[in-house]
Amino acid sequence: MTDIKKATISGHGSRRTFLKTTALAAIAAPAVLRSGRAHAAKSTIKVGHVSPRTGALAGFAEADDYVLGGIRKMFDGGVDNNGRKVRIEIVSKDSQSNPNRAAEVAAELILKDEVDIIVAASTPDTVNPVADQAEVNGTPCITTDCPWQPYFFGRNGDPAKGFQSTYHFFWGLEDVIGAFLSLWDVPGVGKSVGGLFPNDADGNAWGDRERGFAKPLAAAGFKLTDPGRYQPLSDDFSAQINAFKQAGVEIVTGNMIPPDFATFWSQSGQQGFRPRIVTIGKALLFPSVIASLGERGVGLSSEIWWSPNHPFSSSLTGDSARKLAEGYVAAAKRPWTQPIGFKHALFEVVADVVKRTKDLERPESIVEAIRTTKLDTIVGPVDWSRGPVKNVTKTPLVAGQWQKRGGGLELVITTNKTAPSIPVGGELVLL
Amino acid sequence: MAPHVKIERGTRTSRIAGRLALVLLAALAAAPWWTGRANLRLLGEFYTFVALASLWNLLAGYAGLVSVGQQAFVGFGGYVLFAAAMFYGVPPLLAIVLAGVVGALIALPMAPLLFRLHGAYFAIGTWVAAEVFRLSFAQVSVLGGGSGTSLPARLVTGIAATRDQRDMLLYWCALALGLGTVAMIYALLRSRAGLALAAIRDSEIASESLGIDIFRTKLAIYVATAAVTSMVGALIFLQKLRISPDAAFSVNDWTAYVIFIVVIGGIGTIEGPIVGAIVFFLLRETLADLGTIYLVILGMVAIAVMLKAPRGLWGSFSHRTGIVLFPLRRRVVHPDAR
Repeated sequence: MTDIKKATISGHGSRRTFLKTTALAAIAAPAVLRSGRAHAAKSTIKVGHVSPRTGALAGFAEADDYVLGGIRKMFDGGVDNNGRKVRIEIVSKDSQSNPNRAAEVAAELILKDEVDIIVAASTPDTVNPVADQAEVNGTPCITTDCPWQPYFFGRNGDPAKGFQSTYHFFWGLEDVIGAFLSLWDVPGVGKSVGGLFPNDADGNAWGDRERGFAKPLAAAGFKLTDPGRYQPLSDDFSAQINAFKQAGVEIVTGNMIPPDFATFWSQSGQQGFRPRIVTIGKALLFPSVIASLGERGVGLSSEIWWSPNHPFSSSLTGDSARKLAEGYVAAAKRPWTQPIGFKHALFEVVADVVKRTKDLERPESIVEAIRTTKLDTIVGPVDWSRGPVKNVTKTPLVAGQWQKRGGGLELVITTNKTAPSIPVGGELVLL
Repeated sequence: MAPHVKIERGTRTSRIAGRLALVLLAALAAAPWWTGRANLRLLGEFYTFVALASLWNLLAGYAGLVSVGQQAFVGFGGYVLFAAAMFYGVPPLLAIVLAGVVGALIALPMAPLLFRLHGAYFAIGTWVAAEVFRLSFAQVSVLGGGSGTSLPARLVTGIAATRDQRDMLLYWCALALGLGTVAMIYALLRSRAGLALAAIRDSEIASESLGIDIFRTKLAIYVATAAVTSMVGALIFLQKLRISPDAAFSVNDWTAYVIFIVVIGGIGTIEGPIVGAIVFFLLRETLADLGTIYLVILGMVAIAVMLKAPRGLWGSFSHRTGIVLFPLRRRVVHPDAR
């Protein structure tokens, strides 16, 4: 099969050789096709993994090598399935942070590598195209690291029907709103909030009038000033800053990409806009981004989906969240990041699904095992019977602030009302 | 007595190549019987890039219209397909044709505006136009706005009764589009319009003085290219299943790679875009897993070809050997020379 493909692509220079090869291959092909691996006894399960290794989203995949390295070591020993050992092989592909490429590599994994399960993580731009390809091809698919509304409604999901073969675990807007509201519940801050929502998958979901921030904030007594969707990679936020100043905004929130936040934050400084709390989704997740803001990075706040202080441990290795994070810090000589836990958990779910699947030959059987998952992972419980909608389940979410600790900056959990089992590490300090 | 001279286009090589091409074509059309789904999809993607590259080559290499905004039509075609299929229930395969018609209609008023610009200004102008498309579609909330939207699975699975039949149909659509594009361009360039184009490319002023209507010739080429590019775009996003403004109007995916293909293969030749697409796919299939290094290699290949073989791979080969598979020029043939 590989020969045929190579001949087809490279054979232009010498049509004769190409035709000879093709003719021979054409005669031989049916035999090749019929002895495909689908009919062989399954001693190895192939898992396709799509992740933004390069490009604008590379920060999310920074720990891929470390996490996959650990997982591969576990998987090489094999996983028990119906009393026999099954090896799990991971084929990882780079989406280049490009949704077109994500769809392409997902199709390649499904059609060429014939993976049994496909997994993907990090933002709607990676997760949605992969899940769409899986859904059309009936391939079991597990995704994470993207709020569930952009995943579910962004793919035109119908809550009554759900999807056939694609499943997702992460938190949702209601959780991030809850976590932010409890973060802002401190004395001495006015209840006027400014919202910065870009015209992208996350921004449209967060700023949505019905499903987004507007209604819950009003219900909690906050006044939201929303100057409308801005185009990502804007270089001028003066209009927004002016609107916030006029409305007497003391709290700024939203969902931004790091370069946009950096622009907004430096222009706020220049134009004398000084909010007391700045809590932004997505932009303030990574230590490298905060470090790039210098002194003005101290005191910014963010949602926290995972940290070394989360009281969970891996169902695969038994390691605590702290041990996983410290392992990364020691191996990579870089600070820990939140996606580490979720990337690990993604493969915890894969291993658990493989263990419980009745018939690994049949995709429907694998999907059935995903649907009935009840697993305590390093990011919390994953259980699709308790989802807000079909095909989605939620993990706990808290919020916190970047504070100076010891020599460097640390993301400290300052509120846990939304998930009391996760310990608080300090108190919110106003800017 | 003066010997009988004949005016010919074909050469012995081109006639042999023509016959071999028919065999190759039959083999490619029969691909669903000799290869698997993965290769069908890869070949299908290859044909779409051959089509895009050939179309860009027609614009830049023959009509002198160097556009860096062809992604406008790729994305527009994709959006037309999504809108037609989701809101009006048009069968996706029919929507591809519809995308071509609508693409031509939108290109018609754009062309007079863009043609006021020349050279580098025209290039930037087309890019600006594509950005206008991107920003406009980012405001259309029924199509997901900036977030984009997915084609509901039932629309795609409804194309054919089984998965294999669907793959075959989509494959043949891609083959038809790729082949049709190359054939259309070949026929066009051998026609009167092709002669006019060659004259315009060599000297606009001289050709105008000979009675060639430059505006109409360029307009026809631009609109035809836009129509076919929109159809290719519709097919691409039918395969991608998901569309968003950044993906649809990506200058990298639909124009930069396409220019790379044409420059590598040889601009101003029919064979060039095909050779370039083969090289591009070979590089991508073998090196894409290297991440950033892959992009560095692509850049180095482009630089090396531009320095060592400015006519492109096929252009240099053809120049050195005189071999032409798709002959466009007329030659005087002396009967005794045969």
